[in-house]
Amino acid sequence: MAMQTVYLKEHEGLVHSSVGQLSSVTSAPWWSALGSQPVYGEYCGQMKSFSLEISNYVDQFGAGKQAARGVEQLLDKGHTTQFTIFPGISSSDDCKMSGDAQNPQATLSLQSSLAEPHNRFEIGVNQPMICAKYPYMDQFYGLFSAYGPQISGRIMLPINLTSDEGPTYVNAKQYHGIIRRRQSRAKAVLENKMIKRRKPYMHESRHLHATRRPRGCGGRFLNTKSSTDGNGKNESEVIKTSGRQFQSSASQSSEVLQSEVGMLNSSKQTNRSSPNISGSEVTSMYSREGFDGFSVNPLGSSVHSLADMIGSEHGIIRPTKWVAAVPGNCYNLKI
Amino acid sequence: MSDAPASPCGGGGGGSHESGEHSPRSNFREQDRFLPIANISRIMKKALPPNGKIAKDAKETVQECVSEFISFVTSEASDKCQREKRKTINGDDLLWAMTTLGFEEYIDPLKVYLAAYREGDSKGSAKGGDASAKRDVYQSPNGQVAHQGSFSQGVNYTNS
Repeated sequence: MAMQTVYLKEHEGLVHSSVGQLSSVTSAPWWSALGSQPVYGEYCGQMKSFSLEISNYVDQFGAGKQAARGVEQLLDKGHTTQFTIFPGISSSDDCKMSGDAQNPQATLSLQSSLAEPHNRFEIGVNQPMICAKYPYMDQFYGLFSAYGPQISGRIMLPINLTSDEGPTYVNAKQYHGIIRRRQSRAKAVLENKMIKRRKPYMHESRHLHATRRPRGCGGRFLNTKSSTDGNGKNESEVIKTSGRQFQSSASQSSEVLQSEVGMLNSSKQTNRSSPNISGSEVTSMYSREGFDGFSVNPLGSSVHSLADMIGSEHGIIRPTKWVAAVPGNCYNLKI
Repeated sequence: MSDAPASPCGGGGGGSHESGEHSPRSNFREQDRFLPIANISRIMKKALPPNGKIAKDAKETVQECVSEFISFVTSEASDKCQREKRKTINGDDLLWAMTTLGFEEYIDPLKVYLAAYREGDSKGSAKGGDASAKRDVYQSPNGQVAHQGSFSQGVNYTNS
């Protein structure tokens, strides 16, 4: 953010310096380089092309809009003042020029007070045009402010976007390019009505797939790798609990096989416990006592419980998820 | 998030079915008018601190600006090629166009990038020599080169 702030500040500084150069450099070239008739002709042509291009731009910045207006008003007022004062001034006299530099400021303040209600009226009536217009002018001002102060010999040409607003100045080298781009954009609009709003997605099938994907908390897509690992660990824990055997972890396919084996073992134990009242039931009772002893009361009375304690100790070395999953397995065994 | 997967592959989606357009025209689709927004977002993030974020409308605005800039420079280069009755725009034509439009300060970093690009990728040189290559296909890497040049210039400008 700091870098962006610095960049914006420098940009504003350039804008102000370019405004100053406008008042000093462009007064004589403005009058001598352009005649009245070519200027008006260009204005009409540009207005026609601009009317076709309105749909190209949609305003997305309220603050940017206001900033652009401020910059544009400054430029327009400066230019108008120079134009009105020019007939009575000789450009070679530096003292008079410095004296006249103060008068434009006063005129600027007057024009600012006069222009405000006019702008408000415009905003109320022609709001879509205003919204469409300013981001476009942002590009012009960006180009202008970036290169104007660096080479003082350049000649600025006026381009009038609308009759209500004043003319916009661009780099003379880019004038023809900008006119060409406007014509090509107008041609594109005529050939194929360009979409004002962007499509939310490019492809229907991908959009449907994305909407069907499971999402976790926060709205992000669930990661398939983490869910698979969780399932594998749970199944391996079931195997260890039921068979009381310590098996090393392997690939997912072998884990699937082991999980099936675990399920078979658990079903066998269930079948054994219900019809028989022999040593197998005693074994299952001892294993349950071992788990209860570990969680609630530690008991070291018998050899089986001691073996279970050793197994539990090995379980402690396992990750926390294993220890957390043990009570669930106990409940399953009891049921 | 649902838009993110589609954007990077937008350029290659010529054969896919699209919503809203039963018969899409090859000239003015969104992915043909604009650069992919994911790549632009990645380049913008290089100038931010690690915890910085960019709003979506900022990305879209920069996407429109850089796409218009590329069309602006390419249009000037295309005019030169038409005058000389050539069909292929090469990197030197783009450098000439930027000089003509007043972007002289971009020429030095762009020459560095163009030389590095030609040395690093022999396919690029082959494409340059092939007269039958499509203009759109060949312009894309040059557009990227021009964009990178603009970005590096912007970084230097910010640091100074």
